[in-house]
Amino acid sequence: MQSLAAFFSLAKPGAPLSPPVLEASAISIAFGAGAAASTILADASFSVARHEFVCIVGPSGCGKTTLLRMMAGLLPPSSGEARFNGKPIDGPQTELAMVFQDYGRALLPWRSVADNIALAFEARKLPKASHAALVAPLLAKMHLTEHAGKFPSELSGGMQQRVQIARCLAQEPQVLLMDEPFGALDAITRHELQDEVARLAREEARTVLFVTHDLEEAIYLGDRVIALAANPGRIAEIVEIDLPQPRKQLDTREDRRFLEYRHRLYKHLEH
Amino acid sequence: MRRWSLGATLPLALAILWEWLSRAGVLSEDGFSRPSRAAAAALRALADGTLIEQTLQTFSAALLGLTVAAVAGVLLGTLLGLFRSLERATALTVDVLRPVPSVALIPLALLVFGFSRNMSAAVAAFACFWPVLIITIAAVRSIDPRLIEVGRMLGFSLRERIWKLALPAATPGIFVGIRVAAGIAIVVTVTSEIVTNPRGLGYGMIVAQQSLQADLVWATLLWIGMVGWLCNWGLACLERRCLRWYWMARPG
Repeated sequence: MQSLAAFFSLAKPGAPLSPPVLEASAISIAFGAGAAASTILADASFSVARHEFVCIVGPSGCGKTTLLRMMAGLLPPSSGEARFNGKPIDGPQTELAMVFQDYGRALLPWRSVADNIALAFEARKLPKASHAALVAPLLAKMHLTEHAGKFPSELSGGMQQRVQIARCLAQEPQVLLMDEPFGALDAITRHELQDEVARLAREEARTVLFVTHDLEEAIYLGDRVIALAANPGRIAEIVEIDLPQPRKQLDTREDRRFLEYRHRLYKHLEH
Repeated sequence: MRRWSLGATLPLALAILWEWLSRAGVLSEDGFSRPSRAAAAALRALADGTLIEQTLQTFSAALLGLTVAAVAGVLLGTLLGLFRSLERATALTVDVLRPVPSVALIPLALLVFGFSRNMSAAVAAFACFWPVLIITIAAVRSIDPRLIEVGRMLGFSLRERIWKLALPAATPGIFVGIRVAAGIAIVVTVTSEIVTNPRGLGYGMIVAQQSLQADLVWATLLWIGMVGWLCNWGLACLERRCLRWYWMARPG
């Protein structure tokens, strides 16, 4: 089974056979106007194929979160175009789900864990009576079943982020956009959630665009890594990551190729 | 329980001091009566039903005014909090109307509603509207923009974002506004009754004063204080029930 997965993951990179799910063509964004205008991100072009896991890594201030927000339709680019399934992204759409870094601000503090997840079903206009039955498998999948009735404030950071991921899965999106989702978590929790998200992406065949400032996280999770450089933000290099799937916290990180990727990409993170 | 007995110490001590000063002849009985007589007058007024009837009159007028103000204030406050342009368009109107003393509206309310509960309620509604409006605007404006983005990503319509995200997020603030307004409602209702409206506790006090019943004036006054305290306590209980999530997220 594992070798099969490895086979497919090896077959996946290279020239995408199907048309890209997400595309950025020459998108730039500048804030301010006239002489005071500062370019946050210049001329970024890339594409994400169906079922691909692409990581965007870069130093702070390189515009990686801004780039993700443009792909989410939360922010219009100054020039260039972001496309989803070939159509220009002119606003948020339910096929694109966003996992925000600050889970504490993205969850509704007045709703229980189960009701926070059910919010996505309300958005999809599913009958209220069906919510409980739909929430249950998501709770189980994210190991939240015993916390279903709790408020977010009663949970640890890692648990809160699981709730947010569950809510995004409840949205049944084609693409998961993740904005440094594990940046605020401790190392153990981070590794745990990395493996879970990798497993979810594989098992549920989701396309993932994952932003992080952690180079090792990007290499560990990504089928491809887009490295951004700062001042102004721009794409420095795009690298196919040829490491066996599923990745393993110890083995993968000790793999010779993992270290080579790390060496190769590290220079882009320096100012 | 200890908190209650601690809180009750001061009023009890004041009552004893008052009784003693009155019996010693330091306080004139015409004006100050004494606690024992006020208590007796209160019992008499309770027994013959006048105090209860007046309380229901005053309370229903205050509640009606508060309800109208709360609904209008929350509705408008939410809209003005969400849309800057709307707030700018209404700023002048609000700033001109807000300083008008609610008591100054009594003649107008009298012309419109006559001597009635609605007259007191209208004046109370005017007075209560402003704190609810202004606190609601502030509460809605301070909503975390991230929540609104979550709503947009989930594909909620504007109406759903207001209903499912903005309003619940603003409830702690809205509750503050309503509790402030509840106090004002009782003050303004009683004032309107004292000034003109021949009904309720305020009118009862005027009648007692005109018949030189200082004990009944005091009894009614203290009764109003107690009713007001009870209202506030009721609202606080309601708030604790509705905002369990809010207090849970805040230790201490």
